[in-house]
Amino acid sequence: MRVDFVKAVETTLTRDADALFITGDLGFNALEAFATKYGKRFINAGVAEQNMIGLAAGLALIGMRPWVYSIAPFVTLRCLEQIRNDVCLHRLSVRIVGNGGGYTYGIMGSSHHALEDLAVLKALPNMQLFFPCANDHVAAAVALISELTGPSYLRLAVSAFNTERAPLSENPITLTRSYATRADRSKPGLTVIGAGHGVQVALRALASHGLDRENVDVFGIARFPFRLTEDAELMASIFETKNVIFVEEHYAAGGMGESLKLALPALCVFSLMSASYRPDQRYGSAAFHMKQDQLTPDALVSLVQARLRAA
Amino acid sequence: MSEPLNALAVARAALAIRRQFLRMHFEARSGHIGSGLSAIDILASLYGAWLRPGDQFILSKGHSASALYATLHHFGKLSDAELSAYYQDDAFLPAHPAPLGLSAIPVATGSLGHGLPIAAGMAHGYLHLRATDSRVACLLSDGECNEGSTWEAALFAGHHRLENLTVLIDANGIQAFGRTEDVLRLEPFAKKWDAFGFDVTECDGHDFAALASALSAPASQRPRCIIARTVKGKGVSFMENTIDWHYWPMSEAQYRRAISELDQCERELSA
Repeated sequence: MRVDFVKAVETTLTRDADALFITGDLGFNALEAFATKYGKRFINAGVAEQNMIGLAAGLALIGMRPWVYSIAPFVTLRCLEQIRNDVCLHRLSVRIVGNGGGYTYGIMGSSHHALEDLAVLKALPNMQLFFPCANDHVAAAVALISELTGPSYLRLAVSAFNTERAPLSENPITLTRSYATRADRSKPGLTVIGAGHGVQVALRALASHGLDRENVDVFGIARFPFRLTEDAELMASIFETKNVIFVEEHYAAGGMGESLKLALPALCVFSLMSASYRPDQRYGSAAFHMKQDQLTPDALVSLVQARLRAA
Repeated sequence: MSEPLNALAVARAALAIRRQFLRMHFEARSGHIGSGLSAIDILASLYGAWLRPGDQFILSKGHSASALYATLHHFGKLSDAELSAYYQDDAFLPAHPAPLGLSAIPVATGSLGHGLPIAAGMAHGYLHLRATDSRVACLLSDGECNEGSTWEAALFAGHHRLENLTVLIDANGIQAFGRTEDVLRLEPFAKKWDAFGFDVTECDGHDFAALASALSAPASQRPRCIIARTVKGKGVSFMENTIDWHYWPMSEAQYRRAISELDQCERELSA
């Protein structure tokens, strides 16, 4: 998603003379040309995330619209109070971008994993969260953020199960994507929802693990706060199946699944597949971590089949 | 502000602000008196003689909000009605500056170490992106220099040669639970700021001529740091240099005694 993000934000910087890009010393072998092109509108703030958010707030207070970029946990947790006090409480148009959502950084270790970024940020006033489902979903999110007044967070990631599957449709406001629809609406069905790149688990399952033979709708959501009244297709599916499986590469506590469950009618069966912390944590690739957490296409297919049998 | 005031006029303004400040604290029965009194002469110097239209001031030591409110009121930037709501329910004037409440206060502070990064962002924007001659001043407490984010911002300001940024430190030597030199030593304080790329001036933070001279030193392509050596509780003898008056509100007897000391100070100024 990083390449798609850089391309999209370049469009914004070209169109908006008040937009600028601040990096927390990230971008080696990726942002050099970008830095040259935008000159003074490209700032490397160094390895100093608290100052980086504070100075972005200062720039926004005098009318500029900064994009602030680093590895997801560094640009959210290290400087959380600056995001809350300096940015959110003042409703400033600071666009925070975290690269490496979920287990993207894999073997880099737990310091680099972002499994609670959405949880902590969703509690902040005025904050809007964007978590694209796929590389070709990033530009739409960047375009929406560019038009926003107020704080936002964009979560970039690479799924261990990444596919290139094209969506059937995409809601221009909510960014929700439909990836598959039920073959037989008269039979019991299931609504599989992935948060951001979490949906790739389902997309891989569709492509090569037999999920396409089950009676499921598959959606990817990408925005919080939810705008469920504007998500007609998604809501129709949920009301018809009354049976939801939610997949997210994020801890369950404070995750998007928790919020969605609260927003849905109580009669819905709601199952959550999410990341979990283990005291005996061992490390490996993103795929290794996903397997440890049972966040795999196989596990999803098994759960789908069990839920459909019970329906 | 119209014409910059001379040192005597700033001194008179500071005295009037102290009077107002003590009245506010007495009526509200609120604390943080000592650190407000140490900052008032600096605030009066900034608003009376230095800040121009288009300049920005950030109070990073947010616990001196009441001193800022009294200063803004004195210089006509806060109405009687607004000021009367200090420390009251349903108002924009809490003990630390609130967000989005008053046009004269651009940013909320209260958690230490936030003001300088914001001020550095503004100064960087004015100097390198907007090409305006707006200046930014930021008032820190010395205790606030325990915060890592303060030094992150200092590093940034020095590196980017933010010559339009003036950092003032209300160095009263006392923080929330001890003397700064006992809690976390700051000295050699001036050398630290110099090493971070600042032009440093140390002065008596209650000497208006010295403050004016430090504030008006010629630009040098480096940000400026003024270490204003101050006295916590300045102007009220029984509050001076004690940690207690970081916290306590005044009794009526204490308030009357404090005001009588300001009366004496006023007689001396007029003489």
